[in-house]
Amino acid sequence: MSDERGAMAQPIDTAPGTARNHWIPLGLAAAMAVLLVVGWSLLNALVPGSERVRAGDEIVIGEGGGYRASLTLPQDGWTLDVGSSRLGESYRFHRGTVDLTVITVTPVGDPLPDAKRLWEGMGDLARAGDPTSRLGEPAVITAEDGSEGLTGVLRSRTEEGAATLYTSPDGVFAVEMTLGGEDATPADLEAVADVARAITFTEEGGR
Amino acid sequence: MSQAPNEPRLPDTTAGAVPAQRPSHADAPGPRRVPTPRGEERTVLGYHLPALVSMLLIGPACLLGLIALTLRFAGAVRIFFGEAALGLVFSTATLLLGFWLFRRIRPVRAPSLPASLVAVAWGLTAATGGALLANGSLNGIWSKTMGLEFAGVWGAALTAPVNEELLKLVGIVLVAIAFPRAVRGPVDGFVIGALVGLGFEVTENLIYAINAVFQAGGVNGAEAVAQTTVVRLLLTGPGSHWAMSAVAGTAVGLVAAAGWRPSGRRALGAPALVLTAMAMHWLFDAPLLDGSGGVAVKVLFNFAIAMIVYFVARDVHRRRVRRALAEEGEELGIRRSAAIALARRNGRRKALRSVAEAERAQVGERQERMVEAAEDRAFTHGD
Repeated sequence: MSDERGAMAQPIDTAPGTARNHWIPLGLAAAMAVLLVVGWSLLNALVPGSERVRAGDEIVIGEGGGYRASLTLPQDGWTLDVGSSRLGESYRFHRGTVDLTVITVTPVGDPLPDAKRLWEGMGDLARAGDPTSRLGEPAVITAEDGSEGLTGVLRSRTEEGAATLYTSPDGVFAVEMTLGGEDATPADLEAVADVARAITFTEEGGR
Repeated sequence: MSQAPNEPRLPDTTAGAVPAQRPSHADAPGPRRVPTPRGEERTVLGYHLPALVSMLLIGPACLLGLIALTLRFAGAVRIFFGEAALGLVFSTATLLLGFWLFRRIRPVRAPSLPASLVAVAWGLTAATGGALLANGSLNGIWSKTMGLEFAGVWGAALTAPVNEELLKLVGIVLVAIAFPRAVRGPVDGFVIGALVGLGFEVTENLIYAINAVFQAGGVNGAEAVAQTTVVRLLLTGPGSHWAMSAVAGTAVGLVAAAGWRPSGRRALGAPALVLTAMAMHWLFDAPLLDGSGGVAVKVLFNFAIAMIVYFVARDVHRRRVRRALAEEGEELGIRRSAAIALARRNGRRKALRSVAEAERAQVGERQERMVEAAEDRAFTHGD
């Protein structure tokens, strides 16, 4: 802080030349804002961000309560889009024209919502991203570890794919998967349809 | 005591604390107030060109920020309208309370209303919209270069202190240039910074509320909104964005007080304050001291830093205004104690109560002019 000496009392806004002094901080401030918004975006676009995932690699998708959920992709050829994935929250994979998105959600409420309600919520989440998305009626699906979940068709104006939902054994969190791709053919999707069963819930510490 | 030569001494009033109307400074001869050589600096519509350009930057930046936020969240708001409305109610309440509080804590008198509103608008839109884009990109860079695990643990602590603090700082600087009378010293910077931070915090709370609905799987969204809002208001709110930006804003006030050409202690103090604000943000986001207790410690730490900066800035400002008021009082023939009492809102109210009701409006105007003149005198540079 400044001391209180100095009798040269010119209000700062009226001091001669002060307005001229404003150009430098003004320029720096504007440049800083542009640099942060545009600069990081350009740099992010220039940095490659795909990580190859081999068949059988186990990827921990999320954890909560006493359980951990893992995804083990059955085929080679998948890549993880590292730049748009977030640890323990969302993972985006690509294989040719097929996109696979896996997210974990942590329901709230007492009692916790069951799989049927979470399925409806999943439909709302899809519509929030794309207003034309519609989630079909669910059917029961069984994962490779025996966990039961729900699966159904996910349609939008631009694509048709599949959605799958598993709740953890204690219901504390759930894994939601969508399989699709604007340019993916039914054959492309059929070739990787078994990823919908590739979820495993493991009790923490009981691996 | 300094007094302008030939400045007429005005008689004391019965209340002592009620100054007579002061002649305009332009008419006051002597060395105290040097008339501005306005011809040397270009003005447009009565504004200095940098102030005008600053406003022309602030407007579109706020609009772009709002567009970025709308594009990102319009779909979510459409589907989860009730939850978004609930979040908006909490946000509006926070905004109104914070706006009143931060304007109230400025010593002597409230900051300029237009500057306050623009500061909040920057935080609400430009800074948050910009941070949304910048954070997404920088998080992506961390994930790609350092790995998903590292980014998941340290990404927030390495991203937000840089992007968010600097984008808020940009707003404080632009407001200081657009409203040069609103940011003339550290305490002004503190208040304008707190208001920018408040705007940012309010929008961020809303974003977190919507994210909480997604995180909850789109079920029981109102409960998710309430939970996250309570945590963000009661647990983290006291030491969050407002505190960090208030500290950074104090730096802007320091530099502005030096006519934007700081030297000596100010040249060192200003960057130190900005770095302190970034460090506060880093601590807040770092994966250290986890759990509610740990978060509370971090919040208290940030709050304490903001309070230390505030009280130092406030006391220096009050001291300078008191001295200026004493000088003004001496020139106007007002008792020193009565003149100094005008430095406080309460002192001015008391003085007003002591005059006849019919005269209060006029006396109030005189008080305002005297306080304004004292602040002009207190905000000097070259000291």
